[in-house]
Amino acid sequence: MYNLHLSPEQLEIRDTVRDFVTREIKPAALKADRLDVADRSLLMAQIDAASQLGLRTLELSEERGGAGADALTSCIVAEELAAGDADIAAVLSETSRLSHLLFDLALNDAQREQFLPKLTGDDRYHLAFAAREPETDTRLGVNYHRPAAEATLRTTAVKSGSDFVINGVKDCVANAPLAGLFAVLTNIPGRNEPGALLVPAKTPGVSVMVHEDAWQHGSCGAVTFKDCKVSAGNLLGDDAAALLSGKDTPGRGSPLFQALNLGIGRAAYETALDYAHIRIQGGRPLIQHQAIATKLADIAINLEVARAAVWQAAWASDHPAAYADRSVADLPLQTIAQVFTSEAVMKAAKDSAEIFGAMGVMRDMPLQKYIHDARVCQHTGDGNSEARLRIAEVIAGYRRVNETAMALAGE
Amino acid sequence: MDFNLSDEQRAWQMTARKFADEEIRPISLQRDAIPTARETWDWEIIKKGSKLGFRTMAVPKEWGGEGTDFVTQALVMAELAKADSAIAKAFSQNWKWSHLISRVCTEEQKKRFLPGFVADDTWVLGKGITEPSAGSDNRMPIDDPKSGIKLRAEREGDEWILNGEKAFIANAPIGKLFFVDARTDATVPPKQGTTLFLVPRDTPGFRIGKVFNKSGWRFYQNGEMIFENARVPHANVVGEVGGAIKKAGGRGGDTTGGDLFGDLELAANALGICDDACETALRYAKNTKQGGQPLFAQQNVQLQIGKMFMLTEALRSFVLRVAWEHDMKIHSANAGLAMNYSTDVVNEVTELYMEVRGAQGCHMDHHTDKLVRDAFIWNHLAGDSLSRMKIARRLVA
Repeated sequence: MYNLHLSPEQLEIRDTVRDFVTREIKPAALKADRLDVADRSLLMAQIDAASQLGLRTLELSEERGGAGADALTSCIVAEELAAGDADIAAVLSETSRLSHLLFDLALNDAQREQFLPKLTGDDRYHLAFAAREPETDTRLGVNYHRPAAEATLRTTAVKSGSDFVINGVKDCVANAPLAGLFAVLTNIPGRNEPGALLVPAKTPGVSVMVHEDAWQHGSCGAVTFKDCKVSAGNLLGDDAAALLSGKDTPGRGSPLFQALNLGIGRAAYETALDYAHIRIQGGRPLIQHQAIATKLADIAINLEVARAAVWQAAWASDHPAAYADRSVADLPLQTIAQVFTSEAVMKAAKDSAEIFGAMGVMRDMPLQKYIHDARVCQHTGDGNSEARLRIAEVIAGYRRVNETAMALAGE
Repeated sequence: MDFNLSDEQRAWQMTARKFADEEIRPISLQRDAIPTARETWDWEIIKKGSKLGFRTMAVPKEWGGEGTDFVTQALVMAELAKADSAIAKAFSQNWKWSHLISRVCTEEQKKRFLPGFVADDTWVLGKGITEPSAGSDNRMPIDDPKSGIKLRAEREGDEWILNGEKAFIANAPIGKLFFVDARTDATVPPKQGTTLFLVPRDTPGFRIGKVFNKSGWRFYQNGEMIFENARVPHANVVGEVGGAIKKAGGRGGDTTGGDLFGDLELAANALGICDDACETALRYAKNTKQGGQPLFAQQNVQLQIGKMFMLTEALRSFVLRVAWEHDMKIHSANAGLAMNYSTDVVNEVTELYMEVRGAQGCHMDHHTDKLVRDAFIWNHLAGDSLSRMKIARRLVA
């Protein structure tokens, strides 16, 4: 049933987070130094405070100490956080997302017993999924609608007695510099499909190099595993690799990072709207001029339609049966939300900046940061040209053999 | 119609191309990356370019300048901007204001200032209009005496005493001579009560405040100008008292030189960025492999690069046509329209370039990032709503 009434709980958490962002995040995020995109330092005190509010483990089930939030609620929270600071939203979203995927779905009881107390007992315990490798081409590109070999992993975990010994390098790993625990995508000799291994960050042989100028929100880095030994008991179940990679539901996962992207657009919009009310030129406030008013209306249109796409994708990922019975289109709604939102927010941020005149390009003012943040969302990973090809393959009815095998393995 | 360049135009273009390739491009990214706004400027490149005539291109030959025509200026602008848009602008800002000196200053004023400007490789010009509370109000003045410029100038014998401040002024931190708009009569609307002054850098009571930290055009510096009982001789009044804004308007906008060239200048500079983006995108797409094939083998990439070239070539036609019209003394809204159009083109072309390059996972190429940041400068300078309305109004003037 199509229903856009948020539940009382959803409204309450949205208002709580919005209030938290206004009181705790914005005063720090809007300091002139921090607005310079060269300053990539994380606002750790605010991340810790958000963690105490439960936002770090938002998606973890209540019985395991989290808030048990569904995708839609998580998206609402991600948008609110990103309206304050995209990096804070990215860090918390990644740990929250993985806390559910790992601790509710992928870990067995023994693994949970070992790691859950660390997750719930330490506000600074973050999670990271180390999948991508340097120089690896993950794009369809020229292989659109053609069979292609999947990028092969070079990281390898070799069984040695009751341990695995891991060697390899990962790149662009979200949360790597903060993580207490990694889930590492790795080859395991003797198995056809990659596996996922839990590796505590403190394990000897693990080293993290922060990407200082990363084109990604939050904090990310390269992770090197050198003769890194973990217990064989840390191997996750067969379906964990597909689950963590989103390959079990390609293009239909939770649009958490699209909601974050939307929050950036909202920050730009609200800043521009406030300014349009107070700045007087041509004898009256900017908002009373047709040209500026129309621009603000366009921004509002872009953001509202993007939010509709994000919420639809979120709701559908919470209700997979809606795909099955064709209540929603048989399309990768998350990927669709990604393309539309990133382009709509980019336009909204640029239009918002224009309203500020020259101040829109100053590094001690917020608008240029929102533009940069929006650009990061638009181009991080494989970009929208690639996303369009992935949508097109679904429309064309083309099924990737590898992914089919993955999906079947997960069933 | 004849699209051939003259030998002289071609020679200037080639000199500019060589200077851009050999001197500007090698320092472009390094200057862009300097974090402190005050430190991005490099006198060496200005001196080298000045010796080749790129600082004084628009000064008439009888005053010792290069006396180039508008077509040459557009060609040189695009060549320099192709290597670095901000460094190119640092040169052409001088052309803009030397046009103004040539057109509106008295012989006596020219004698006092032009020889010094021509002789000194480090003499840079600027013009202070914008103030913290007066941006759009200066570009499209209204008939309210309380609106617009607040900087006051009061007559005291043979001098004017200036008090107030200017913001975001190009070349302010490094300039030696400035045009400054000041209110000489605050009881009448700005159109009647504003006067243009020539203010040398060493004027007592005049100093430079902060240097603005921009996201794009890092090399090109914008600063605050602060006037605290700054004393300017009456002989430095440009035109008549109360006449600063009267010169503006008409079908061709301000035909005294400043705005007339300024519109063409920005359109030609954008063309340089687009040329850079097109050439680099094409090279990248031919040399980078994906799935064992050059990127250019993909239909999507062909479409993206084709569009980049299409828009760029259309802009080139428009820019050169406007330059030619200026040389023929045909003035219309075209220069402004070309400037507005260049805003759309430079944004779309650089964004397509970024799409072709993509982030490699989480790593964006510095040059690509610089071009989109430089391009966004146009959105508040050359293609904002106000600029577009101002130019549309020229159609009915």
